[in-house]
Amino acid sequence: MHAVQDITTSQQNATSTAETIISAEDLGMIFSAGSVVALEEVGFNISKGDFISLIGPSGCGKSTLLRLVAGLLKPTGGSLSVKGDPVTGPRPDIGMMFQKPTLLPWKSVMENVLLPKTLAGQVTKQHKEKAVELLHLVGLEGFEFSFPGQLSGGMQQRVALARLLNTGAEILLLDEPFGALDEFTRERLNVELLRIQREVKATILFVTHNIQEAVFLADKVFVMTPRPGRLAQIVEVGLPRPRDIEMTKDPDFNQRVFEIRDILGGTI
Amino acid sequence: MSTTDGFGATTGASASVKFPAWAQHTLVFVIFITIWEMAVQFNWVSALILPSPFAVVAAWWDLAIVRGIIWPHFFTTLTEVLVGFAIGATFGVGIAILSAINMTFRRLVSPYMVALQVTPRIAIAPIIVAWLGFGMEPKMAIAAIICFFPMFINALTGLMQVDHENLEMFESMRASKWQIFRHLQLPGAMPVIMAGFKTGISLALIGAIVGEFVSASEGIGVLIQRFSFQLLLPQAFASLIMLTAMGLFLYGVATFADRHIVFWRHSDLVNKISRRMRAKNAGLAGIKPAE
Ligand SMILES: Nc1ncnc2c1ncn2[C@@H]1O[C@H](COP(=O)(O)OP(=O)(O)O)[C@@H](O)[C@H]1O
Ligand SMILES: [Mg+2]
Repeated sequence: MHAVQDITTSQQNATSTAETIISAEDLGMIFSAGSVVALEEVGFNISKGDFISLIGPSGCGKSTLLRLVAGLLKPTGGSLSVKGDPVTGPRPDIGMMFQKPTLLPWKSVMENVLLPKTLAGQVTKQHKEKAVELLHLVGLEGFEFSFPGQLSGGMQQRVALARLLNTGAEILLLDEPFGALDEFTRERLNVELLRIQREVKATILFVTHNIQEAVFLADKVFVMTPRPGRLAQIVEVGLPRPRDIEMTKDPDFNQRVFEIRDILGGTI
Repeated sequence: MSTTDGFGATTGASASVKFPAWAQHTLVFVIFITIWEMAVQFNWVSALILPSPFAVVAAWWDLAIVRGIIWPHFFTTLTEVLVGFAIGATFGVGIAILSAINMTFRRLVSPYMVALQVTPRIAIAPIIVAWLGFGMEPKMAIAAIICFFPMFINALTGLMQVDHENLEMFESMRASKWQIFRHLQLPGAMPVIMAGFKTGISLALIGAIVGEFVSASEGIGVLIQRFSFQLLLPQAFASLIMLTAMGLFLYGVATFADRHIVFWRHSDLVNKISRRMRAKNAGLAGIKPAE
């Protein structure tokens, strides 16, 4: 295990130091409502193109951390920067997706995917063709003019993913995107998410409370502790890509899962 | 929270019933009319108090077809209702939108809204008549005042119930306040607003009739009052039936508008629109025409 991990770690270090895309230092978030310390002393660097899983028990501040990176919340302490600039608000190169599909039921699948373009101004024929392509990419060919209410939960999340990709953001923040889906659908979407990331080469920050999912997807797993939320440890996954569901049988994979369970076990 | 019509759909009766729904309705109607007719024929009730259904139909035939004198009254009342509703709905939804957008405005107007809610609005009728005279205007005003509140409260409820994550989704895409209103808040509020529409239009009819009772020279309310004073009860009932018809018509229009504006709540409409969109966009790259 260590041999594998050390090799990948050194490889990543070689590239990551030069291409840090998100960086947090001593980040803190206290909600004045009820004076909840949601995050404390969180520091990390994320390299361009990395797939990061963020795991921790419910209420440990995962969503808060994502909202900070998205610029939806302002930190009460420390600093956070994207591409070297402090985060001051939502940015065009960062997109976000939630556990709920947050689709607009009165718009067709196509119109939902086109929403980022609608908000940016005009929707051109090129935009429409791009939307069709994205729907193809997420496996929804033929559903362009269906409405969200006609789709299953899994398909709705695919639409939300296509809409997210259509923002053109290179940093994707996913907050338990498949958390409400059944195990089978979730597994399939995980495999497809990896395929899509290979294609669009985005940097992904993926929140989950499923350890297997976290390891399966990520280059690094950020393990958080509850109340106040801190970053307990960063686990390098170091498993080869491309990955498929067979990898979950790999002893190295399970080694990583147990490692993370131990870290979490000590904090809960 | 929201006001709804209260008429649950009664289609799809249980499998144990062999009659189709229309036959059941006809049967109940015939039984109802028969009992009514018998009550008069056998003098259970004096015909002076309760006219027989046939007397009512005869009176209606005379008023509506032979002499046709009921129609100007009918259209006077209908105009009062429609104009009154349009005014009440515009103000109701308009003030709700301002309240939803601006917290200070909401805080400042809310005491007046509560006052308006707890005051029996019908009691304003004589004052309105004193202000506006005896024409159609006071009836429109009363109809507007009566339907204003359900329109306001439903629109405000709908506009305020924005889903937090949907809002964050829009914010993360750097949508403007106007875009959030236009693409999220307003369409999201439409189901509740349209429920208010259905309540409001029925209330507007009540308002117009109350206005006519207070003082008027034309309108179905005037006819009912006049015929009742003259103890011409078949004619009074015939006029009442015209009001029922008007109410059904208005409710039908509201239901139709609701279905088509909030189309995504009706799977048959969604399927239809979806098919139409697909056919229209058959030229777009990668999209095949509808089957
Ligand atoms: N807007 C808010 N106001 C007050 N407290 C909040 C707010 N958002 C989150 N919290 C609190 O911060 C903590 C972390 O929440 P969250 O980031 O949603 O956790 P997670 O996503 O890990 O489950 C929780 O205790 C939660 O109650
Ligand atoms: Mg969360």
